[in-house]
Amino acid sequence: MRPEDEAYFESLESDLDDAFDVAERAKRRGDDPKPEVEIPVAKDMADRVENILGIDGVAERVRDLEGEMSREEAALELVEDFVEGTVGDYETDAGKVEGAVRTAVALLTEGVVAAPIEGIDRVEVNANDDGTEYVAVYYAGPIRSAGGTAQALSVLVADYARSLLDIDEFKPRDDEIERYAEEVALYDSETGLQYSPKDKETKFITENCPVMLDGEATGNEEVDGFRDLERIDTNSPRGGMCLVLAEGIALKAPKIQRYTRNLDEVEWPWLQDLIDGTIGEDAGDDEADGEDGESDAASDDGDAEDAGDEPDGPPRVDPSYKFLQDLIAGRPVFGHPSKEGGFRLRYGRARNHGFATAGVHPATMHLLDDFLATGTQIKTERPGKAAGVVPVDSIEGPTVKLANGDVRHIESPEDALEVRNGVVEILDVGEYLVNYGEFVENNHELAPASYSPEWWVQDFADAGADVQALRDSPFADLDDPDADQAIEWATEYDAPLHPAYTYLWHDVTVEQFVALADAVVDAEREDGDLALAPDDEVRATLEALLVEHRQREDALYVPDWVPLARSLGVGEARSASESPSGASLREAEDLAKEWDSLSADARDWPNAMRAVEEVAPFDVQERAPTRIGNRMGRPEKSESRDLSPAVHTLFPIGEAGGAQRDVGDAARYAPDMADTPGEIDVRLGERVCPDCDEHTYEATCPDCDTWTDPHYECPDCGITAEPDESGRVECPRCERELDNVETQTVDVQDEYRSALQSVGERENAFDVLKGVQGLMSSEKVPEPMEKGVLRAKHDVTAFKDGTVRYDMTDLPVTAVRPRELDVTVDHFRDLGYDEDIHGDPLEHDDQLVELRVQDVVLSDGAAEHMLQTADFVDDLLTEYYGLDSFYELDERDDLVGELVFGMAPHTSAAVVGRIIGFTSAAVGYAHPYFHAAKRRNCDGDEDCVMLLMDGLLNFSKSFLPDKRGGQMDAPLVMSSRIDPSEIDDEAHNVDIDREYPKEFYEASREMADPGEVDDLVTIAEETLGTDEEYTGFGHTHDTTDIHLGPALSAYKTLGSMMDKMDAQLELSRKLRSVDETDVAERVIEFHFLPDLIGNLRAFSRQETRCLDCGEKYRRMPLTGDCRECGGRVNLTVHEGSVNKYMDTAIQVAEDYDCREYTKQRLELLDRKLESIFENDKNKQSGIADFM
Amino acid sequence: MPLEPPVRVVRELTSRGYNADREAVTLLAGADDPADAVERAVDEAPADALTLTADHVRGVLADATPDAEPTGAGGPSDSDADSTPADRHTTSSTGTETTTDRGAEVTTPPETKGVERGGESARDANADLRSVDVAGDITGESTGTGEYKHFVATFRDRYDKLSKKLRGRVNHRPTDALDSMPGGSEAAVVGMVNDVRSTASGHWLVELEDTNGVFPALVMKDRDIAAHVDELLMDEVIAVEGTLSDDGGIIFADDLHFPDIPRTHDPSTADRHVQAALVSDVHVGSQEFAGEAWDAFADWLHTPEAETVEYLLVAGDMVEGVGVYPDQDEELDIVDLYEQYEAFSERLKDVPGDMEIVMIPGNHDAVRLAEPQPAFDEELRDIMSAHDAQFTGNPSTVTIEGVSVLMYHGVSIDEVIAEYPGDEVSYDHPHRAMEHLLRKRHVAPQFGGRTRLAPEEKDYLVVDEVPDVFHTGHVHKLGVGGYHNVRLVNSGCWQHQTEFQKSVNIDPDVATAPILDLDTLDVTVRKFV
Repeated sequence: MRPEDEAYFESLESDLDDAFDVAERAKRRGDDPKPEVEIPVAKDMADRVENILGIDGVAERVRDLEGEMSREEAALELVEDFVEGTVGDYETDAGKVEGAVRTAVALLTEGVVAAPIEGIDRVEVNANDDGTEYVAVYYAGPIRSAGGTAQALSVLVADYARSLLDIDEFKPRDDEIERYAEEVALYDSETGLQYSPKDKETKFITENCPVMLDGEATGNEEVDGFRDLERIDTNSPRGGMCLVLAEGIALKAPKIQRYTRNLDEVEWPWLQDLIDGTIGEDAGDDEADGEDGESDAASDDGDAEDAGDEPDGPPRVDPSYKFLQDLIAGRPVFGHPSKEGGFRLRYGRARNHGFATAGVHPATMHLLDDFLATGTQIKTERPGKAAGVVPVDSIEGPTVKLANGDVRHIESPEDALEVRNGVVEILDVGEYLVNYGEFVENNHELAPASYSPEWWVQDFADAGADVQALRDSPFADLDDPDADQAIEWATEYDAPLHPAYTYLWHDVTVEQFVALADAVVDAEREDGDLALAPDDEVRATLEALLVEHRQREDALYVPDWVPLARSLGVGEARSASESPSGASLREAEDLAKEWDSLSADARDWPNAMRAVEEVAPFDVQERAPTRIGNRMGRPEKSESRDLSPAVHTLFPIGEAGGAQRDVGDAARYAPDMADTPGEIDVRLGERVCPDCDEHTYEATCPDCDTWTDPHYECPDCGITAEPDESGRVECPRCERELDNVETQTVDVQDEYRSALQSVGERENAFDVLKGVQGLMSSEKVPEPMEKGVLRAKHDVTAFKDGTVRYDMTDLPVTAVRPRELDVTVDHFRDLGYDEDIHGDPLEHDDQLVELRVQDVVLSDGAAEHMLQTADFVDDLLTEYYGLDSFYELDERDDLVGELVFGMAPHTSAAVVGRIIGFTSAAVGYAHPYFHAAKRRNCDGDEDCVMLLMDGLLNFSKSFLPDKRGGQMDAPLVMSSRIDPSEIDDEAHNVDIDREYPKEFYEASREMADPGEVDDLVTIAEETLGTDEEYTGFGHTHDTTDIHLGPALSAYKTLGSMMDKMDAQLELSRKLRSVDETDVAERVIEFHFLPDLIGNLRAFSRQETRCLDCGEKYRRMPLTGDCRECGGRVNLTVHEGSVNKYMDTAIQVAEDYDCREYTKQRLELLDRKLESIFENDKNKQSGIADFM
Repeated sequence: MPLEPPVRVVRELTSRGYNADREAVTLLAGADDPADAVERAVDEAPADALTLTADHVRGVLADATPDAEPTGAGGPSDSDADSTPADRHTTSSTGTETTTDRGAEVTTPPETKGVERGGESARDANADLRSVDVAGDITGESTGTGEYKHFVATFRDRYDKLSKKLRGRVNHRPTDALDSMPGGSEAAVVGMVNDVRSTASGHWLVELEDTNGVFPALVMKDRDIAAHVDELLMDEVIAVEGTLSDDGGIIFADDLHFPDIPRTHDPSTADRHVQAALVSDVHVGSQEFAGEAWDAFADWLHTPEAETVEYLLVAGDMVEGVGVYPDQDEELDIVDLYEQYEAFSERLKDVPGDMEIVMIPGNHDAVRLAEPQPAFDEELRDIMSAHDAQFTGNPSTVTIEGVSVLMYHGVSIDEVIAEYPGDEVSYDHPHRAMEHLLRKRHVAPQFGGRTRLAPEEKDYLVVDEVPDVFHTGHVHKLGVGGYHNVRLVNSGCWQHQTEFQKSVNIDPDVATAPILDLDTLDVTVRKFV
């Protein structure tokens, strides 16, 4: 590690320590459930694993083993420690196995996700029919977050522990084997599995797996056959078990085998059968499925070669329609697969790019009717499935046709906004920046690259030009030369024509090419412009080529026409022998073709590329051979995380607060004249003061301020019990499990008044103080209401764990300018930044600075929310805990340098980050490593930030719901520094070079495998473990600002679904890259029809519900009225909900010229609706009516 | 005869979709047997005629054979006392599953190929002996508008009709009366099955509902009747007899009764040797449609051997339809819905023009999916105008020369098979599922499952009258059997195995045509592949 990196982490950690001290002091003074901060700090993965599991000694052992072996091997090695008892303190065999299995899963998931605690319920040792014992592991749904490999290895670990403990194998009964097959199939059909094992496979695994895979019921469906089995507690599918069996063992058999081979005690010879497919054809399918990725890649290669050998066509990637599936109404398509006019692939990484993002020109975002904004997710054709959109203005923007006939390239967001209302057609949506690492991550063959200035300049240098001199020259612009210069360079140096004048010849036919050449020869000239006859074919050709021009009644005017003419092989009529310069051609009196006819080779080529190469006096490259289709996925997000209804205080008030859970109302609640207002019965934990034996529900004794303990009393025998080590409490006499929860009468009025008084607030300090109906935690200890009062005052709300959270879409950034973050260079220098990316001293606000890995950029909304939170925290410290303020922030700038937690759903570990600036985009920008440490990538995922002190003061495990998954999404541990080796390895595939070599672009034209060119571009993986691992993230493309383009996607600003859909269809009409009929078909197919059909089906099999008491009935009661309360029962699906889209769908089908098949389906549905909802008798008149 | 003959003639004509000249009406009313005259006038009316002319009627009356027997009125009591169909049915139903005592003829004899068509067949001569009456048809009677009260009315009607069939057998106590009876007393309740649960100890808790409320019945797992619990479908009506528990909160079931068909049911038969072909699931338009097999079937109908086959009943799924399942268009031979029906109509034209045809819709057809399904609308009827077929709803009871045939497409068979444990009710024995429906006296009892219900004034799905023949399709498997003297026929199909069927391992019985003897109710299965 470089000294500056060390200094950086030390400064973070020292700030963290300071905050910790304050928080610890505060906690000892308040009435929190625990008198200490409940988020332990983990310096590395070993710490996280130990903290998440709560098993002492694991971290030390993990650190010992880490240097010597892989994580998987370490997990197996730890099994021996658990069995011998050197790690963990377990008395029973089951406990030892459980500890080993949890540790293994925690290790394999880097101690970040909740799977090890939430995904494994328990381990039991039970009896086989022959009297021997076996091990059963109870999995739960959240094991999903561990991933297939960790799931499978957890079984192996259990088996290894089992064999070391000398417990026998599981011997399933025949009906159990059948049950597993039925159950896995049922789970697959209900919930869906990534891999669906055949019945035979499931049975085979069940029969052979030496450990019983068991688990909790996760669904309401029940198996039909094999019910009520003695050793299987439920008739519903056990989701965790199904995942481990199918996505773990069945799918990852080859990976497990690698480890079984190294262990003498564990033999799983049957894995070989699973891998080889000797369990009949089923297993054969298994293998094919399992290696899907590889075989796909292989066949793609094959295609690529075929295409290469094929004489009549250049190498192209095959269009893929996958991203169009499940199109959603209101989320538009921007390009059909590989269709002309769609996004043009350009290689490179912008500074706010990489890690599952796509660079789009901000002008494009505006012209796509603002549907794309910074952070909007798109579903894309390649290389991955989805990507987050980032604005990059150093790539080419869109080309549009305006109502006045002008065809223009739009190169700035300002221009885009200016012309937007006049756009009649978007001929091309511009370039689409994808970095090499994306192809590595997705193992996708390289797609042919666009011809771009950065490639051209290398060709130019190779042709002998002194590029450096030209770069320094005030008379040349290598990125955007004028036409004469471009022609001169192309002819003089024998380099390819500059991309600025390279038209999309591969998008027109040879016939169009010839016709255009003739039209150019015949054209008039007016004021230096070429005036072509207004022929439809010629116009279409110019549009396809993306030549800027003006379409008028009398002619098509092409202003900068010389490179076009030269590319068409058109020269001066008088001196056809000599290639004219740009200037001379412009002055020439007559134009003439320099060629008579094209060769057979050029004529047979599927596009005009060969023709151009043949007749142009210089080399012309394929301008944009790869088009990438995509559509909108999720909109970006930046909003505070509120429970529904929002909650200020985790204090229970039952139904007394009404639907709003208003504590003020609850305090005055008296249903009866005789009742004391505010006395409410709620379920709370009973606690006892260890000193004075006072019983209370509060965390501290109201009399002597001592922290209380939960009080467990058996309701039958009245015996007081104590929890055992695992936290379970049993009555020592009747052996029933106990909790300390009972219905208690609480004086909410008193709580409320004294809370207000204690923090010195009046009721008019806030609009409403919202509590909760009941507590969901196991011990049901309420939060001190004072905290709620202050939250309400500062208008922030609490999440289920007591913290204040703000959600943002994740985006990566590796270099920033102080100015774009709305901070100054002084702020940056205060934070320890002293150099820009070029190594120059940091002096100006617009210098580009490489971002440190734990520095984060907040959205404006998040900053505002953090400010409110800081004020809340300060009030809390001063008014409630009686300490000094911690933040004392006056304005947003003061937030710079403050620490936050980043935390993603389904994980249990927070990562410490430092605020360095703000963005107007609705996203959270941070280093890719920061996102990866939270186990996120940036393809549209979102997660939250919390203010550090808020988390330290207000988080308590005691608030977490006592149900499966309750520990997820809670900061059970925090990482204070990021170790790049211990994060999601997807981030290691971000490339870090400042330019890609020419060879790379050339390899892309051959559709090389990304692995073949790994010596050409550096990815972050290569610096892992070196001193440079935190630095050196270069980028190839800059962008003026990281939040260009619309601030919000139109999807969020448009009102109803109908408005969104209208906008979606309207946009599809404008885009040349989109087939609007197909969009309409898909909207009908995936949105309207499923809705109509689903609701119609639901109607005729619906449940009913009592309007008065809410009781549900599977079928209408024969009494007609509610059997519970006698109230009115009504349908849950009405005519209105069934046919709400019918007319619109029929209209759309008509307007967008959908297939007759689709129209008939709608017509048929319409008639079915009529048949159900109309009365035959007063509908039409039959012949009988007039007799 | 309460009405004047001219009025009856006009009414009769309009019911068949014809108008008539005043003179024509007078002529018809003045005929010896006006009903017969109307029948023949209509039969021989030009295909495009809407109004019958006097000339036409004169021609018809002149042709009338003096010995024509009056039609209609073939009530159940008319069945011959000397025939012993009951015995024979019993034998056949317990015999091999596939066919009857006469055995199946596996293929069409080759010589029947290329039979000359168009000549006057013997069938034609019997035209005036025929009769087809339809009852229980929803078509044109659908008054439900999808409101809650219509659902309630449907289920109440079901309970009323079915509980009547059980009240004679048990002494029903309303559920609210049971609540107040002393513990330990004997009691019985007729109720709609509201819920079936297994208890922790493996017994069964069946919740029964009547118009007053619900009451639980406990069926102990070791009792014989526990086996019947597996057969229960939600929302069927049963009776339970037993003893009230001590606290009176539950009834311990000793006996369980289904509405059922009486064992003594004596089916009606035709007065002459005449046959009906019972087919279904033609699926024209599907790439898998077995067109060549249908040709062979149509050819065979023209042979002398098939002379007595005067009726053709089609139990739904004339065409493959559109939008029945996702991406169906990729498996369609004819993508246009109307062209599918036109193609079906062409296929129909291949069968002898003098056959009587009755059709109900199925789940692939272009009518509502919710049951009861009304018959095809005018537009589709116009397309399928060949042979002047009769269109009726699903289900309907069609009485042919006195033999009542309950026609039902059969969507609920899937459900019965899925819910029934064990192998005896399976896709290989669809008629076993039909037996259960008859026991329940309801063609699709379970609400909220696979079958869909359209709420109406009454429950058209109740099997109120005992049919002589129960004809279904849908599952594409052949099944012939008998149950308490009711002949059960599940037709095969005219569609080869589809990809979907392959994936779930269903091997359909393609191109099988069960031929029913209306005078004996015996069935011969003809195969045309």
